[in-house]
Amino acid sequence: MAASKDKQSQRSIWVFGDYRNYFQNRVTLQLLSRATDLAGRIGARVCATVFGHEVDEYVGEYIAHGAHTVYVVDDSRIKDYNVDTYASLMVWLIRQHNPEIVLVGATTFGREFAPKVAKLLATGLTADCVGLDIDEEGLLVQTAPAFGGNLLAEIVTPARRPQMATVRPGVYREIPHNYHATGEVLRLSLPQDLPRPRVRLVSAERQVQREQRLEEARIVVCGGRGMGSLKRFRNLAELARLMGGEVGATRPVVYANWAGQDALVGQAGRHIKPQVLLAFGISGAIQHTAAITGADFIIAVNKNPGATMMKLADVAVVADANQTCLALIKELKKHLRG
Amino acid sequence: MNLVVCIKQVPAVSELPWDPQSGTLKRNLAEGMMNPACRHALEAALRLKEIHGGYITAISMGPPAAAEILHEALALGADKAVLLSDPKLAGGDTLATSYTLGRAIYKLCPDFDLVLCGCHTSDSETAQVGPQLCVELDIPGVANVEHLQVRGRTLIMRRLADNFLETLEMDLPGLVTVTTKQYLPRYASLGGLNEAFQSSEVRTLTAADLDLDGDKVGVAGSATRIRAVYAPQAAKENVVLKGAVKDIVEELFNRFGDRIAGAIGKDLNGRQ
Amino acid sequence: MKHTVIRKTVRAFAETELGAIAHDIDQEARFPWEVIEKMRPLHFFGLQVPKEYGGADLDSISYAITIEELSRVCAAIGLCVTVHNSVGLYPILTFGTDEQKRRFLPRLAGGEIIGGFCITEANAGSDAGGVETHAVKDGDSYIINGTKIFVTNGAICGAPLIFAVTNPKSAKRGASVFIVEKTTPGFAVGEIEDLCGMRANPVSSLFLEDCRVPEENLLGKVGDGLKIGLAALDTGRLGIAAQALGIAQAAFEAAVRYSKERQQFKQAIASFQTIQNMLADMATEIDAGRLLLYRACAMKDALSPFSAEAAMAKLYCSTLATRVSGQAVQIHGGYGYSKEYDVERYYRDAKVTEIYEGTSEVQRMVIARSVLTRPS
Repeated sequence: MAASKDKQSQRSIWVFGDYRNYFQNRVTLQLLSRATDLAGRIGARVCATVFGHEVDEYVGEYIAHGAHTVYVVDDSRIKDYNVDTYASLMVWLIRQHNPEIVLVGATTFGREFAPKVAKLLATGLTADCVGLDIDEEGLLVQTAPAFGGNLLAEIVTPARRPQMATVRPGVYREIPHNYHATGEVLRLSLPQDLPRPRVRLVSAERQVQREQRLEEARIVVCGGRGMGSLKRFRNLAELARLMGGEVGATRPVVYANWAGQDALVGQAGRHIKPQVLLAFGISGAIQHTAAITGADFIIAVNKNPGATMMKLADVAVVADANQTCLALIKELKKHLRG
Repeated sequence: MNLVVCIKQVPAVSELPWDPQSGTLKRNLAEGMMNPACRHALEAALRLKEIHGGYITAISMGPPAAAEILHEALALGADKAVLLSDPKLAGGDTLATSYTLGRAIYKLCPDFDLVLCGCHTSDSETAQVGPQLCVELDIPGVANVEHLQVRGRTLIMRRLADNFLETLEMDLPGLVTVTTKQYLPRYASLGGLNEAFQSSEVRTLTAADLDLDGDKVGVAGSATRIRAVYAPQAAKENVVLKGAVKDIVEELFNRFGDRIAGAIGKDLNGRQ
Repeated sequence: MKHTVIRKTVRAFAETELGAIAHDIDQEARFPWEVIEKMRPLHFFGLQVPKEYGGADLDSISYAITIEELSRVCAAIGLCVTVHNSVGLYPILTFGTDEQKRRFLPRLAGGEIIGGFCITEANAGSDAGGVETHAVKDGDSYIINGTKIFVTNGAICGAPLIFAVTNPKSAKRGASVFIVEKTTPGFAVGEIEDLCGMRANPVSSLFLEDCRVPEENLLGKVGDGLKIGLAALDTGRLGIAAQALGIAQAAFEAAVRYSKERQQFKQAIASFQTIQNMLADMATEIDAGRLLLYRACAMKDALSPFSAEAAMAKLYCSTLATRVSGQAVQIHGGYGYSKEYDVERYYRDAKVTEIYEGTSEVQRMVIARSVLTRPS
């Protein structure tokens, strides 16, 4: 059933326009794509909301990526992101138009903004979803991770409306930009009775790239206690260097001072999403595996074939971690020389 | 300063006691522990108390066994500990939980200056209770705070949000959720633990004690419902390599050299 | 609930602070001062000392749990803490004058000085009567001469208790105990012993050469040596039993883990009846030992005489530690013999628990005497 731009179709799926960090942050476009799929199944329109100042370029983008309607509140007084202000605006709009479903990207902002909207509306919200679907009854089925991604839960909001979810960036793929797409743009004035923000932003500095090295690395060489000693652990740095990657460590390693706290890959440390992860001597405690769910391809080296990490890996190498590391270094040097 | 810290007991597992046959989590096998982020929130509160003086009330909603973490909180330096425990409260989602905690705070410490929560729990990981508690209590709040400073009646907070290093301010009373990046938690001393059990008390309250609206707590007060829980299928084809290290490395390059090369971004003149 | 929380807290501390280094400090025979530093404010060195002297005032079961959890991760440090608390500090708490308690307890409880108890000499092991170190009264002090060997915490103790003969002519009432501060002229520490296990503990000899000790440092009365020694050892035995349990528990857990992961003949070895029988026996023994220990602890706290029960606990737990750790190595097969795995360290550490603070043979003497003198 093709998505209808018919204005008489009352049902709608809304996507919050999280346009900050636009080039890196594509989650709104990803959600518009998914919303389009879901809307087709329940005969609904796809709408986007944009709050801020001088935001027309995003309005255009959202229409080009699937929105049939965009609600815009453009005012210099709301030019900076503010959780409470935007939540009030969202609630105001939702109460007027009663969307069936509201989706928000699970950015840091989204994960603070959406719960407030849901609470103000006394409706249900599922956090950090990795899956959205419609079941036979037309309910939104929200799949969310628990225990660091070691479990998945399927959640529904049976009665309350709208059904809300924050969705993890990267789960869905955006529809390519459609230059010919058209949509309606509804511009609204800032309501006069909007409560004044009680949280004041004093300053916001864009993070220096350097600190995100581990999170953005395409290759991560991670070591655990199985490396055996500080001396051996250091070999991982050489391997990482040859591969142009970064070194990560598990919690016991950081406590033993074989690596610094900033190398900690874990629930209480950094979350990584490399294309290739090499895990040396790591057993795979959930505090660590929670932080590597984004890895595309995992090679685990451990002399214990039954270790959890070995089961999670794409390639499980049953061998001594340090010796394998040294052999890899030798082999790489040969290949890279040529 | 009148501080309230909300803490939660979560399963202490490095390996999930997951029963694939019944498709359920054997929660009763797992021991409990204080949620790591809650520990950091408590540590932040303890440091504020050290600097500014004051009173810390630790509150937790959970089964009777959760009293353990409240005793720990007392041993670490909280002044009062309250457990909200009642079968009616079980199974609540964040909507119901924020209502329950909010009503408890309103009743037990109406004159609070600051409520501190962990940024998220290691089991359900929603990170929603903090923000929803703000709405329940109608107070300003900031999530994922890494550093706090009090100046008069103003709280100055620093955090990393979506690639921005932000400094924010709000007037108390307010709420913060604390990340695990700073405020490295202290250990409870053994003498402190002993005293927490000997002379201090964890007060247990039921839904009735708090005058809670039965329609807003537990399963009845929840808007969401969990339909199924399952362990994600390992969709990957898992290759196991054994034998002499030299041979393994050769095989790795033969079979997966492309993959590795792609990630490195260089051409590995392979022995393909 | 208190015991559960104490167990969890000590376990979390031990795993975090000692877990990653236990293997290395055993290899290098290095005493980890950096961890001791962290233990001080947490009352690890004043476990059963009253609050007024800066201690945690724990009951004996909590004490046993603490030692067990430390030893489960690093037996050498568990040993340091139990010897300090039970035989190094407890005699001062029990037999010391208010003045002595004021002078020494706060520093000991705070871990500023580490304690120790020295009876053993080259010619006096099980036979305490063979002690040759002697203390001679000279004005308002005592001159002590002698050599003590195999002193746990020897190289680092600040105020060890020295068991010395004061009346050579008397058989039983001839010895006394002195608190000797290591800064005393004439006091010297020997080389650290190169031992099979407990290698991170700086065990050494202590040399006393015309060591002048003020009479204020005499613990109890002249001739109280045997009484103090026996009382100290009763308490010490509880600690050693706890230590042995910790080692056994660690070995057992490793064995369970390994047998679930190791595959031979196309299945996990845990599915073989032989292994299952071994694990079942190990589990039962450890539980039985723990109950024996807690029973003795409860009797001590109830102020009942508990010598025989403490001896039973020490005898049983140390024997089971050796057996269980040996089984664990066996279950690990060749890997168990390698230093890449922890089980060989548990095996090496376990053995000495059958020897120090009264060998198993001496424990049997104590138990037999109790059995034979009880009214039938």
